[in-house]
Amino acid sequence: MVDVAKLKEIARETVSRDDVKYLIGWRQGTFGFRAAPHFVNKPEDVDQLIFSPLCSHNLATYLTGVEKLPVPRGQEADSRKVALMVKGCDSRAVVLQLVEQGYGRDSVVVIGCPCQGVVDQKKVEAKYPDMGENITAEWGEKTIIFNLPSGKTEVPREEVLAGKCLTCRYPNPLLADAGAWEEVAVWGSDDYADVQDLEAGNPQERRAFWEDKFASCIRCYACRNVCPMCYCEDCILDRLNPQWITRAVNPTENTAFHLSRAFHLAGRCIECGECERVCPVDIPLMKLNRKLTKEVRENYDYEPGLDPEAKPLQASYRPNDKEDFIL
Amino acid sequence: MNNKPKIGVYVCHCGVNISKTVDIDAVVEFASRMPNVKVVRDYAYMCSDPGQLLIREDIEKEGLNRVVVASCSPRMHESTFRKTLAAAGLNSYYLEMANIREQCSWVHEDKEEATAKAKKIVYAAVAKARLLEPLYEKEVDVEPATLVIGAGIAGIQAALDIANAGFKVYLVEKTPSVGGRMSQLDKTFPTLDCSACILTPKMVDVANHPNVELLAYSQVEDITGYVGNFDVKVRKKARYVDVNKCTGCGVCSEECRLKNRIPSEFNMEMGKRAAIYLPFPQAVPAKYTIDPERCLFLTRGKCGKSPKCVDACSAGAINFEQEDEIAEFKVGTVIVATGFDVFDAARKPEYGYSDYPNVVTGLEFERLVSASGPTGGAVVLGEGEDAVVPKDIAFIKCVGSRDASVGNEYCSRVCCMYTAKLAHLVMEKVPGANVRIYYMDVRAFGKGFEEFYDRVRREGIRYIRGNPSEIFKRGEKLVVKVEDTLTATPLEDEVDMVVLAVGLEPRKDAREIIDILRLSQSGDRFYLEAHPKLAPVDTATDGVFLAGCAQGPKDIPDTVAQAKGAASSALVLLASGKVKIQAQISVVDQSTCRGCGYCVEICPYGAIDLVTVNRMGNLAQAAEVNEALCKGCGACAAACFSGSIQQKSFMDRQILPQIAVLGVM
Repeated sequence: MVDVAKLKEIARETVSRDDVKYLIGWRQGTFGFRAAPHFVNKPEDVDQLIFSPLCSHNLATYLTGVEKLPVPRGQEADSRKVALMVKGCDSRAVVLQLVEQGYGRDSVVVIGCPCQGVVDQKKVEAKYPDMGENITAEWGEKTIIFNLPSGKTEVPREEVLAGKCLTCRYPNPLLADAGAWEEVAVWGSDDYADVQDLEAGNPQERRAFWEDKFASCIRCYACRNVCPMCYCEDCILDRLNPQWITRAVNPTENTAFHLSRAFHLAGRCIECGECERVCPVDIPLMKLNRKLTKEVRENYDYEPGLDPEAKPLQASYRPNDKEDFIL
Repeated sequence: MNNKPKIGVYVCHCGVNISKTVDIDAVVEFASRMPNVKVVRDYAYMCSDPGQLLIREDIEKEGLNRVVVASCSPRMHESTFRKTLAAAGLNSYYLEMANIREQCSWVHEDKEEATAKAKKIVYAAVAKARLLEPLYEKEVDVEPATLVIGAGIAGIQAALDIANAGFKVYLVEKTPSVGGRMSQLDKTFPTLDCSACILTPKMVDVANHPNVELLAYSQVEDITGYVGNFDVKVRKKARYVDVNKCTGCGVCSEECRLKNRIPSEFNMEMGKRAAIYLPFPQAVPAKYTIDPERCLFLTRGKCGKSPKCVDACSAGAINFEQEDEIAEFKVGTVIVATGFDVFDAARKPEYGYSDYPNVVTGLEFERLVSASGPTGGAVVLGEGEDAVVPKDIAFIKCVGSRDASVGNEYCSRVCCMYTAKLAHLVMEKVPGANVRIYYMDVRAFGKGFEEFYDRVRREGIRYIRGNPSEIFKRGEKLVVKVEDTLTATPLEDEVDMVVLAVGLEPRKDAREIIDILRLSQSGDRFYLEAHPKLAPVDTATDGVFLAGCAQGPKDIPDTVAQAKGAASSALVLLASGKVKIQAQISVVDQSTCRGCGYCVEICPYGAIDLVTVNRMGNLAQAAEVNEALCKGCGACAAACFSGSIQQKSFMDRQILPQIAVLGVM
């Protein structure tokens, strides 16, 4: 459980440091049940920080995604640290980014926020449609409390939390420099029920399922852009020579796109669920990612983003690794 | 030069290897219609001189600038045809092989379908040939020196050969003396030469050779670099004795308070030594060493009023302040001759090695019969007044060899013959001895081995075929329980002594060298050679060679032969002074590299590092390939997410058109 007042105090101290460029956290959004990323450049901006069940964004994506503008001649690049607020799942992204040497450990200040689950916009909007004004929320005992215009309303957490939170095994940050918390209890468990549903079908059924889903993809690339693990300087999806995947929006190319994306995340997906959250056409991308996560766990006993000293899956080899899939 | 592709396609019949399943004429006709193809020819054996001449003449007369040879696997003849191109003045990397033998004619029966497939393979090769780029093999200088790790007979022999050829050798030995396992042996089979008599002259030679720098009691800590240019770091462990002052007189050892208290490693812990010691009388260098784990002064800070060795040493050589030193030097080649460990007989508990003092291993028995051993060469059990001479002696072969239950499926290759030799020595030293040897098979395969085996049988040694199941004690005797499998008779053989012919195993510290040199291990856990037949002393790392039992069990003649082979392989590099490095190496596009380091982790040759690059004033990490280390295996290219690291001659822009033509046929 996080003491938000204490958290703000830590944030204020952190932003005031000379070696910190800015802090990335969350603030209340402008309508509905939304929060928004909040870049705290100066101590007075700290007042707007929140940490509530609305803070679903994985802010780690900004660490690698930030555009680096050319540095004028005679000047030096700003090498100050970036401070970042992380939930449990977000911290796994930071860990894996460190494993992949995206930046040095000393170039980030990680502020840990143990998390009791964040709401799924789609679930909550279905429950309370047409909320024009912004609603705040807080955690109760196994419930989420919404401050609706009609008054405080408490709902069981299972009804409104995101799917990833219902199976979450890492609600507490795995890596943090500071934080004001008591660890929260792990109450989720993961049997990959969502993946098993799909595995139960035959290949034709699975193909029909995905063809249907991929057919609606509009190739907005929001899933790629929001992913904290997708940070290539020059993404193969954008490349023209060689052009691995054409830009045509049709089921064949869409399938190639989604399978490439999923494979590039095999053994790397830290299950923050951001891709699925931002998809405007509701493709169940986590089903695809989690199928690979399940394979990786079962075959190689590996979970990414737990240990900053671990080698990446693709770069580690054990003589007894399974290889029965090699023809 | 006008680089518009002019491609020549050469289709090989390979006798009938290809032509019996592939319609050569149809492939030729098809190839002649492909874009940019100027000449198409077929020939019975393209790799023959007349076949190669066809290519040369076309390059010269027709002005071909790309060549496709449709024949066998590039592993067979790519280098042949590369030379053909070079001889005609064309860059040899303008060659593309289309494998229509291993990947087509040999694996198909239907001629029509095989022909269709051959056409596709040739078409794909032509598509790629258009996009080939010239590559140039670079040369690097070779540092004219060699590091030899391990100074057993293999290391000594390799060092001597290289030193005699006029090159510098750094010979590093972990223990205080050179000599290795061979120095522990009494006689050598099958000629019964005295082991020390043939070894010690070489030990002295190698220590005194002007080109050899002997680093005894030292350990290799780190090796970086690549063929021709290895940087070596060696830790010279503190002996606590100034080797320049020590005369090797041995008074210190006589005076040591722990004299005759510490089991001697050289005598397989049967004899005793002092804390300051010379491992064996002929040790080279003949300098004393203080055992830092046993010495009272070093372990407790106190040895009587003052250490007796210090008082005894008239040369003032003892220096308890001495510290480890680090030696750093450069070499061009490395020879790994780190030897073996003997199998730990305690891992076969049914033989009672841990329980009964009169069950000994072959190497222990070797010390027992040796004149320099704990008993002065007398075969006796027990000490002082209890000493008895064993009359009934049983040998058991294949202990820890050819035995999947202990994880060693291989034959150790020396036990059959050393057993015969030891049995012969018993007959010589114990009149009236009754010796039997329990065996699975007798492998007397070497020069003079079968004759020696015959000789010992004629001396009255009995060979009984059977693998004992158990050894237990009955009264004063040991009972060997076994079935004679030739007569199907169960036996309970009562003996005074059992000698276990233990096999050879990879050294327990084999991992250290693997980590330093990135060597591989074969299934038997010994170091892996580059090719079991054609490159038996080479390793996957260029410039690193193997000698002796580090690569697998072998006897002394084979060890010496391999050491000489490793030395001559090293000398090839040292004498030429230059080494050509791979041209088809990986290249990094540092502007798109995301610096995740997967390629660094994956590279089996340690050829990739992350370096800091400047992107418009912003510093970022990007991969960089060390051209001399890269072997062009392509593992990094497969691992790269953004396609930023690729292998020359196998770039995406070259391979994708190759795949594309297959799709549109």
